Amino acid sequence: MLKFALCSLITCILSYGQIMGQASKVDSSQMTTLRIDPLAARGAAVSQFFDEVTFTPLETTKESLFGAIQQLKMTDEHYVVYDGETKAVLIFTKAGKYVAKINASKFEKDPDVKDQSFYGFNIVKEDDKQTIQIRAGKQVYYFDFSGKLIKKVPVPKEKNYTNYKKFSDGTVIDQNFLEKDEKDSTYYYLSLIKDNKRVESYFSYKTEDRKGDDRWHGGRVYDYGNPDEFLFIKNYQYNIYKLTSSKLSLAYQIFFPAANSLPMDYGTNPVYKGKAFDYYEKNRDAFYEMTNSYLHFNNLYFQVRNFNWSRDEKKAFIYNLKTTELTSIADIEPDSISQFLPVTDLASQYDFTNKGFLIVNPEYFYTSYSSLTMFTAKEQNEEKNRKYDAVLTQFFKTQNKKSNPVIIKLKPKKN
Amino acid sequence: MSKLTKLTLAFLLSITCITLRAQQVNPGSVKGLVRDTAQNYVLKSATISVYKAADSTLLSYQVTNNYGEFNFKNLPVNLPLRLDVSHVGYMTSRKQFTIPADKNKIDLQTIIATKRDVMLNDVVISVPPISMNGDTLEFNAAAFKLDSNAVVEDLLRMIPNITLWGDGKITVNGKEVKNLLVNGKSFFGGDMKLATQNLAKNSVQKIQVYNTSRNQGSASRVDSTLEMNIKLKKGKDIGFFGKIGFGYGTNNRFETDGSINMFTPKMQLAVVGAINNINKIADNTGDLMSNSTFKGVGTNVEYQPDFRAEGISRPSALGANFSYNFIEKPTYELKSTLKSNYFLQDRNTDYLSDFKTTTSVNSTDKVIEKNQTINESSNTTQKFDSYYEYAKKGHNLEFFQEVKFDRGENNNQTFRSSTNVEDVLTSTNNSLNTSNNYNKSFRFSGQYQYSPYIITPKTRFRGFNAEYSLNTYNNESERLNITEFKSFTGTASNQKFNRKYNTSSDGLRQEFNLTIPDVKRLIFGSKNYSRLNFNLTNKLVLNSDKNINRVQDLDTLTNVYKTNAYLDNQIRTNLIEETPGLKIEKSFQKSLSNRYYKSFTIRFHPKQLLISQDNKSDRSFQNLKRNYSRFAPDAGLSFYNHQYGETSRSYDLSYSTKINIPNINQMAPLTDSTNLYYLQRGNVNLKEGVQRELSFRFDSNDQRSKNTLNYYVGINAGLIANNIVDSLLIDEQNRRTVYLVNANGHKYINGYGNIRKAYKLKSSELQLSLSSNFNANKNPGYTNSVFTFSTNLNTYTNVNINYTYKSYLAVAFGQSYNTSHSKQEAFNTEYSGTNMGTTLSSSYNVTKRFTLNSNVTFNKNSSSIADDINFTIWNASAVYRFLKGNNAEFKFSALDLLHQNTSVINYGNANSFTIGTQNVLKQYFMATISYYPRQFGKKGKDKK
Repeated sequence: MLKFALCSLITCILSYGQIMGQASKVDSSQMTTLRIDPLAARGAAVSQFFDEVTFTPLETTKESLFGAIQQLKMTDEHYVVYDGETKAVLIFTKAGKYVAKINASKFEKDPDVKDQSFYGFNIVKEDDKQTIQIRAGKQVYYFDFSGKLIKKVPVPKEKNYTNYKKFSDGTVIDQNFLEKDEKDSTYYYLSLIKDNKRVESYFSYKTEDRKGDDRWHGGRVYDYGNPDEFLFIKNYQYNIYKLTSSKLSLAYQIFFPAANSLPMDYGTNPVYKGKAFDYYEKNRDAFYEMTNSYLHFNNLYFQVRNFNWSRDEKKAFIYNLKTTELTSIADIEPDSISQFLPVTDLASQYDFTNKGFLIVNPEYFYTSYSSLTMFTAKEQNEEKNRKYDAVLTQFFKTQNKKSNPVIIKLKPKKN
Repeated sequence: MSKLTKLTLAFLLSITCITLRAQQVNPGSVKGLVRDTAQNYVLKSATISVYKAADSTLLSYQVTNNYGEFNFKNLPVNLPLRLDVSHVGYMTSRKQFTIPADKNKIDLQTIIATKRDVMLNDVVISVPPISMNGDTLEFNAAAFKLDSNAVVEDLLRMIPNITLWGDGKITVNGKEVKNLLVNGKSFFGGDMKLATQNLAKNSVQKIQVYNTSRNQGSASRVDSTLEMNIKLKKGKDIGFFGKIGFGYGTNNRFETDGSINMFTPKMQLAVVGAINNINKIADNTGDLMSNSTFKGVGTNVEYQPDFRAEGISRPSALGANFSYNFIEKPTYELKSTLKSNYFLQDRNTDYLSDFKTTTSVNSTDKVIEKNQTINESSNTTQKFDSYYEYAKKGHNLEFFQEVKFDRGENNNQTFRSSTNVEDVLTSTNNSLNTSNNYNKSFRFSGQYQYSPYIITPKTRFRGFNAEYSLNTYNNESERLNITEFKSFTGTASNQKFNRKYNTSSDGLRQEFNLTIPDVKRLIFGSKNYSRLNFNLTNKLVLNSDKNINRVQDLDTLTNVYKTNAYLDNQIRTNLIEETPGLKIEKSFQKSLSNRYYKSFTIRFHPKQLLISQDNKSDRSFQNLKRNYSRFAPDAGLSFYNHQYGETSRSYDLSYSTKINIPNINQMAPLTDSTNLYYLQRGNVNLKEGVQRELSFRFDSNDQRSKNTLNYYVGINAGLIANNIVDSLLIDEQNRRTVYLVNANGHKYINGYGNIRKAYKLKSSELQLSLSSNFNANKNPGYTNSVFTFSTNLNTYTNVNINYTYKSYLAVAFGQSYNTSHSKQEAFNTEYSGTNMGTTLSSSYNVTKRFTLNSNVTFNKNSSSIADDINFTIWNASAVYRFLKGNNAEFKFSALDLLHQNTSVINYGNANSFTIGTQNVLKQYFMATISYYPRQFGKKGKDKK
């Protein structure tokens, strides 16, 4: 045991030295420590958090039928959706009316490329006009909002950061920056790049460090609608960082009850290498991931994941930084604001669990769930004489459990 | 009698109707909402149970929905009721209420749930009857109030979602439980009844039901099966149960049996024995064990002696079953289990039969054979087998061995006479056969499967599967045959034989099977050259048999047995069968979130069959060497369609090719002329028969949670080219000579279907099941050199209706309808017959300890060439249980009360039809006394 402890200590010291040698220093001067017990999370009514809830069923036709919303973007007039199951980008009006679909059939067959499928899209300005940009095979295609192909250009050979997350000043976030050295190369999980030059780099590693490791050590950047700031969560840490165009700073350090926590050195100690699955199996309460974090005024949103599948367990939260009140999102109770329908599918399906909110900005949050969830909720309300608005009345009348998903637009209270 | 049956039926139906109507009498409803006011949220999936306040009888239960609401219907009005709310981590909230009769409903509004504080640990916690623990549905035994002598089966009957079927199957929400475990391990060989009918309800903590899909997160649980685990209370995982019983009756009928079953967390041992002369025959330890169980005090339709069995048997049997888990809590990833079985059976059977077979010789002539058989046999069988299974992260090893000894004696006298259509006697053939035999066999098989525990896209080697099996046998037999054939017409001479046989045969069969999955990845790595999946398969069979026949005839002059130079022989056959193959698979999946999951797989398995058969004999004409080579592909299509919240259906279509090669006795037999009514001749030019079969199966599973309907149907159709068939020559003395020839045009089609549905009413349950199958074939053959097809159609249909009312009454109604029809085209002859059986069984618990059972079977046999045969068998019994724990039982049974068991023989085949009777068990009365010792948990700890 002593031997093991000594080994770990030496490893820690060595790796610490290595990282310090190359990576930038994280600013932790503004750090706040939060102690969060998921069991203490409270419920609330929808109206306590949201002023407005709008349901927009996406029109179901033979052509527009799709699985689930994997990516949602919008313009003033349109919702644009990517569905991985049908491998298609679908364009709907803001009222949910189907406009067009873009799938592989819209591309010319490229004889050199075997697989022309694509995994997402972007909305970019081309010639002062908003277009849908899709990269498939060796080409980048541009479509207008009626699904018409405008142009295609070959994918640039050099790394050009066009589709990366950007700050308003043009600084780009690179989550896989490679620093080539004469002897060896170093990668960074998080780097800030301005005018193709590196500003700062954090969390370095070498490829050989990761050999035989079944953990993924990177992290995720979350856009919460602030053009000058993103949130960042590094895997196997219960830390929420703020990322600006100039630096990374540790904003919130969260402590969970011991049963829910991974060991402090879980992400760095090589004894866990190749044993992650076993570890989670044995410690089913431990949160192996913290994810989908957004900041809206004083409310910090985040989710956790562990190996327990019980729906009783609370895993999505809103923490109020001012009042320290913890609310469980699954326990936000439908009320008249939401026409007594749930605002997320946390209680029945997995869309919110997997993706969190699809779009977050200071004015509105967007999420979606299946028609199956809609109809299940409606059935549970059957004997209560609920009145639905015109859109939903029509929806329940003409659609069924197999119709397309519904977009839920929430106007959060600014508290 | 049929009047009585009808009356009883009418009476029972009326009870059903009354009960059905009684459901509507409780119009009361109660609703409410459960809220944790401290943390301000509603409790989803909290358990709400409604009891009668007076005696705490559970009336109904529900789980709150996503809004934290519950809503009960069909509750009694004007009666004080109690409602308990329970949820993991919460104290039980309790509410007393009465539904007013004038309104028929009550709204309990918000019920406050309070978190269970660590400090308040000593608060009495009442257990909810049902709870969800992750994906596991749990039924808590303590919440169900039952008699202290109740067993698990009684508990299962109390649970609305669970159905116990008449045939022993258990379904939960209509889905069949495939596996029943006790504390995570199979219980005494896995027979569900052994666990459900013996384990005391009071020793059970809870019953868990879950899907055994390893990948919990996967959205589609295509290959998941339902498993039930009985979790015993702490300290109750050690115990024993057993039985000792003795019965004696009229006509010297008797039965006696005893068993003891012991279990500890790691070990299980059962020893069981039985002797009787009432045709209660068990063929293995499992059967023996399941017939000596406690069965609780609930209603059961009692196990009956087999009145339809041929002859009268006096079986005695002894069995033992042992299993040891080296790992106390086995999982899929880690287990090590040894199971052993020993079985000894001694059986004496007297059999008498008297029947008449009519055979068409050509389009006008018929030969009618009358046959009387007297047979006495005794047989002793011993069997010992063991099975070992080891699994550890990707490695899976299994061994199985079996040794079997079989010693038997047989004494048979047959008197046969043949007449023609005009009823003129043409010949007689009487024979006496005495024989004894001693057979030994040994079987061993082993299987090793490897699949890497962690698979990354770079893993090239995805495992393999190797199987080996070995069978050896040694059979020795001695036989004496005395036959006298007399001819009354024509030129055939009378013949007499007195022949002794001494045969010994030995054989060894070895089979090697190897499968290497995903060969493409093994060779090319993760490079994706094609979406097809390739598996290499290889099967090698090595077989060798040796037969020594020593045959002697009595020389009537010297009265000494002399060797029969023709039949005395030694023959050795070596067979090598090698089948290399490549299995090609391609799968397509299509899914749409929360809508459907569909998968479609195409399989093509080309393989080459290479067979070499080498016969070496003392007779040179039997020295035949044959090689066969044939391309024998298998193929298949399967389609799975899961529609969320509606149904999941699977369709499977498969095609297979088999070849049947002729053996030496078909090609060049040594014809034994003692049996003149059946002489077999060979044909060295026989070719292999090639059988091609197409099968289809359709399964439908309901995904809804209420009033589910599940069913399956299947159909198999095939063609046999060059089938080896009989060319039969019958002369007017009914002497038959059979030549074997190849003939084309053998076709068959058979199908089956099953549908079951259960209606759980408030205090009663109605189960309906229907199963049916049919078999149609067209067989080519020759009769007296005329080529003819015979077409046959047999159908079997069974309908069962089971009705149980609380734990007082169980009624089972069964109707079977079997038809047979055969037609021979060339002779334009046709036979048909129907067998109908109507069974009405009922069991009525007069008091908790006194039960009356009755079982009536009405049989009707009709055929196109004989009068209808009708008979009714009525068995009844009265059972009284006494002593504390109901451990002792006195039973009086009356069997075949109407004295009508005649047991009819009635069957037809290609060109003949047989009717007659055989001796069977007949009326008797018997008194039985049994004692069931039972203990769960260590003594002294029992009281709590």
